[in-house]
Amino acid sequence: MTDRPEPDDTALDPAAMMALLTKQQQSVHYQQAAFVWLIELAWGIAWGVGFLILWLIDGAKPAFSIPLPTAAVTFALLVAAAIVVSIVLGVRSSKGVRPSAASAFQGTVYGATWSVSMVGVWLFASGLQFNGMSGDLVAIFYPVAYVMMTGILFLFSAALYRAKLMIYLGSWIVLIAVVSPFFGYPNHYLFLAIAGGGALLVMSIVVARYTAGLRRKAAGHV
Amino acid sequence: MSELDPVIHAQARLRIVSALATLDADEAITFPRLQELLDMTAGNLSTHLRKLEDAGYVGVSKTHEARTPVTYLALTRSGRRAFEDYTEALRDLLGGTS
Repeated sequence: MTDRPEPDDTALDPAAMMALLTKQQQSVHYQQAAFVWLIELAWGIAWGVGFLILWLIDGAKPAFSIPLPTAAVTFALLVAAAIVVSIVLGVRSSKGVRPSAASAFQGTVYGATWSVSMVGVWLFASGLQFNGMSGDLVAIFYPVAYVMMTGILFLFSAALYRAKLMIYLGSWIVLIAVVSPFFGYPNHYLFLAIAGGGALLVMSIVVARYTAGLRRKAAGHV
Repeated sequence: MSELDPVIHAQARLRIVSALATLDADEAITFPRLQELLDMTAGNLSTHLRKLEDAGYVGVSKTHEARTPVTYLALTRSGRRAFEDYTEALRDLLGGTS
């Protein structure tokens, strides 16, 4: 084996080496974050379209109405699709990386917290129904509780992953959750579609622009 | 302190070390994923990784996942320190204060 230097075995001047270092790290960050905007987009569509469909059960009567079972199943399918997109893309972005014991623990507990919270909200609602909560109130309680839970978990993720954008998104989502009941049934669904779905779509654009910026900065050396 | 570490001071190895430095301490990455992130050929990556491993800057651990052999790579403690020193030396050369 000869020791003939290959082209990339040589060094450039210090400024070019510093630029190479910076661009390489930006390239890695871009490649790992390239899918995040799609997750936000999936949730923006799920909430935007999903809550709009729930609103259409009674919101546009008598001109138009979607039967309750159809609306409920469509909403559930949209949310399920967003969950699948989140899991698939989330796994893909961390592909090939073996987490440290600490971050594996954080990830597992965070993931489990979503499941525990969702089941907890459902059981809490069941308990309230057992104690006489009416159907009208159920239609207020479920969306508000789930949206508020999502906002709180976004804030939790901001702390866990030092993601400052999630502080704004999480706070906004908690705020719209607690404001929405004051619009009354069924307009609280319309409010959540616009203010919740809309916020996620805006976040998707913000994240897409950020990652596109990283890609542009990182371009040119590979 | 403006001596540039010759092990890191080559384009390919600087790119490898910079990419590995984005991982948290105790994290590791598979060879194919690193190759994909760097867009390098397997042969080229292996050659430079060997030099980094010989210098004690990169640790290689081999394991099995679902009966498939997997090679994980990560900066060692001294590799991370060497990268920090190299970055500082570059900044010194470029007239930085830190």
